Amino acid sequence: MKPVNFGIDLGTTNSLIAKFENGKVQVYKNPIGQKETLASVVAYRLERILIGDKAREYLTKDAINVFSGFKRKMGTDEKFYVVNIDENVTPVELSTLVLKELKKFVPPTDYVASAVITIPASFDSMQSNATLNAGKEAGFKEVFLLQEPIAACLAFFNDDTFGPHQSTGNWIVYDLGGGTFDVALVNQMEDQLKIVDHEGNNFLGGMDFDFAIIDKIIIPAIIQQTGIENFEEELRDKHGKYEMLFYQIMYYAEEAKKELSQAQITAIDFSAILDDKKYDFYIEIKKEDVDEIFLPLVNQTLQLLHRVLENNKLKTDDINAIILVGGSTYLPIVREQLSLQTGITLNYTIDPTTSVAVGAAHYAANKFYEPSIAEKEITTHNIVNELLAGLAVEQLNLNIDLNYSRSSRGTEELLLIKVSGEYEHKTYRITRLDGGFDTGFVDLKAKKTEFLPLIPGINNLFDFNIYDNNNNEISYLKKEITINQGTYNIDGQPLPHDICIEVDDIENKTTKMEAIFTRNSLLPQKRTLYRELSKTIKKGSDDCITINILEGDKNSRPSSNLTIGCIQISGKDLQTDLLKGSDIEIQIHLTDSRVLKTQVFLVMTQQEFNNVFSISEKQINISRLKEQYNILENELINTIKEFQYNDDDIWEIHATSLLNELESLKTNLFKLKDKDKSDEKYVIAEKITRISKQYDKLGGNERITTMIEEYFNYKEIVMTAIETVDFEKEDLRKSFLKIEQSESGFIQSKNISVIENKMKQLNDLYWRALGNNISFLISRFTEYKSYEQSYFKDYRAANTIMKMADTSLQNEKYPEFRRHVYSISNLLNRAKENNIIDFKGTGIG
Amino acid sequence: MSNFHIQLINQFFEISHKIEERKEVSLFERNFARIKTIFEEEGYIIQDPTNENYNDARTDCEANFVGKVSTKMVIKKTIKPIIYKKLDNTLTLVQKAVVFVESK
Repeated sequence: MKPVNFGIDLGTTNSLIAKFENGKVQVYKNPIGQKETLASVVAYRLERILIGDKAREYLTKDAINVFSGFKRKMGTDEKFYVVNIDENVTPVELSTLVLKELKKFVPPTDYVASAVITIPASFDSMQSNATLNAGKEAGFKEVFLLQEPIAACLAFFNDDTFGPHQSTGNWIVYDLGGGTFDVALVNQMEDQLKIVDHEGNNFLGGMDFDFAIIDKIIIPAIIQQTGIENFEEELRDKHGKYEMLFYQIMYYAEEAKKELSQAQITAIDFSAILDDKKYDFYIEIKKEDVDEIFLPLVNQTLQLLHRVLENNKLKTDDINAIILVGGSTYLPIVREQLSLQTGITLNYTIDPTTSVAVGAAHYAANKFYEPSIAEKEITTHNIVNELLAGLAVEQLNLNIDLNYSRSSRGTEELLLIKVSGEYEHKTYRITRLDGGFDTGFVDLKAKKTEFLPLIPGINNLFDFNIYDNNNNEISYLKKEITINQGTYNIDGQPLPHDICIEVDDIENKTTKMEAIFTRNSLLPQKRTLYRELSKTIKKGSDDCITINILEGDKNSRPSSNLTIGCIQISGKDLQTDLLKGSDIEIQIHLTDSRVLKTQVFLVMTQQEFNNVFSISEKQINISRLKEQYNILENELINTIKEFQYNDDDIWEIHATSLLNELESLKTNLFKLKDKDKSDEKYVIAEKITRISKQYDKLGGNERITTMIEEYFNYKEIVMTAIETVDFEKEDLRKSFLKIEQSESGFIQSKNISVIENKMKQLNDLYWRALGNNISFLISRFTEYKSYEQSYFKDYRAANTIMKMADTSLQNEKYPEFRRHVYSISNLLNRAKENNIIDFKGTGIG
Repeated sequence: MSNFHIQLINQFFEISHKIEERKEVSLFERNFARIKTIFEEEGYIIQDPTNENYNDARTDCEANFVGKVSTKMVIKKTIKPIIYKKLDNTLTLVQKAVVFVESK
């Protein structure tokens, strides 16, 4: 036997599905739109069936083909005639469609075999059996029913934040949803929950509150401003001239209601053209005003609540608490009046929207079913699905051929579906995986076309699914469709290399590559980069900003790549000083014929610089080349030291030979003047690029593997250090996560300098973590106290701070103590590091 | 945090539309482009579907129909834009546009 675990709130307005697992309940989200709720609405459009929010959109416009509220008709012999399909459908069939749609919220790794489905307290046996049938029709092996107020109580009793609760007594479940209201008296006796009585109003809910705002506040305000006499009448006319405005107002009223749940005042602000005149409306709404107009509606619910108490001869003192269910119980006036008029404790610790589904999942954890043979044998549920579907349709003679272009530059792509064999009474459904497109269920035909909308610049992924006549998915026929928008096209040429800009890495006193256009992007390409200046440039000075555009591999060091465009803006070009931190906008345009155009805009001076480069001409900037030389030389020296330390003799020999080769260029390079016209700069630049590339590959895969291993070991150490800090834990965790998130990218790059940089970041984080650990700070402080005077720049100042630190430590004022230790550390005479070079950089941060 | 970003994007969208209506957009064009890029760098893709075709399959929009429903419909007005969020190379719809749709 296996626990059922799945709970379903099959609501009149909205439905939800949840699962109990490892002591917790998870409410699933709709993969289309990521909402937890599914509108309990089914729309039969001309060619397709829509279920959920999309179906609800057509409710007022196509009422004869759209069905909602069918839950109220469960267990009756009522049938609904659907004009579009010329057939009758029953409430059970409609509920089945909703249940099947809910199953799609559950990822393929979780198999929904059986479920607990909730029913209203008022449901009789016929209605309960009809719900049971809908569950069976939806493909559940076992269906267990649970009354909604009991489900809400279970969610409430199992809520950890609520803590221990009274084990016996009476509870009121107050359920105010979008369109209905229910109140139930629940009795708990020796772990048994029982519904004693209930009352309800099927036409009272959140929408009535929205209409109250429209009627009493918005319409009078519009009439006052416009003076239009018959405005209200015209607004309410189904196809009247103010129809769009009516829907707009409905939307704003709901938004205002939500805002006033948290604020004392809000405003509706919109423009509209009424009778050829444009009006700007600004309607201020106060909480006290809406409270006044909501009060009669809240009182209606309270009358029903009091009736339940009176009918059962109970006083308010006899009730342990009122459990709030339904989205409309978020309204402050509802909570205020319930407290005021009953004096009973309110409980809203559980989410009123999901509580019924959560309670059903808790109940499902204690209900069991006998799994099928296939399910017993195979534990991976998506395989079960496939196997079951495969068994069911093994004999099917059905061939599906999908024709479409795998790349497109358009906003939509035509899909041609060709089907042969037994396709009658079967449907297909195409969904885009980001949730922005869903065809709904469409009848299969021999030939069919669909236009698939594409999001620009990305890989658009679609699922193509086939369903049998009961709308059960035939998994083995599933196909995936991938269309790359804007990347490839036979008309345009793809970029053979990454196009990057060289930017400063101030912390590491080096520069790095930042991708502008990645390899295989289709030409033409245009992009604007927004950056801050990393240094101040004085007007009239020789100092400059260098915009260096490179072609090559975005993961390599800049010196390993080819410069295709270089712009220098010096202090002499400036109208005023350019401050560090001011904004620079760099627009880069690479044309079809690979002409590079740049436009640089300095926001502070409001100056614009335009350049056009031909990629056939090499662009070498001598001062930049000298700095690239310095960076590479410095890196090689450090690497050689590292190899010596680790006894990596062979790698040391290779690195030394590269360094020697590089240093042989030094004299000639540093002799070159900025405006040198000779070919020497091209020769040297090419040699530096070659050495840099060889350095990138030094040690080959073995070195990369070692570095990756070191990275993962060090990562563990840093993680432990972060977990033991006494301050700034969350900030440090975030920084750690940021490094971790980029992990797959830099490991895949297999580039030594990229991995080295990540190690440096990790190292900085480690020291930051230590600096936030009191034990470490105390040991550091003790060490500082033992230092001689000559260790400090200003010993007197250091001594004073040490005394202050001692006092802070004695008084356990740790944040203060930490500040003092930092200050002492800043007064230390640090040995000048020999690898620091005079780093100028590009000026672009 | 994500909800905070979405609210910010909605306000940005509303402000840019108000300025557009008053034909003063050129004054702020550079700033708008910049703000849009900031959101894009955070992984958000913002789309204004105004004037695009509308059909049943567009789950990226929450439609309000003005006039009669037909097979050829167009989005006339957008109150909230479509917002996608990119996370680990997967795109997810995080806000449906709120739109008004009319027959062509």
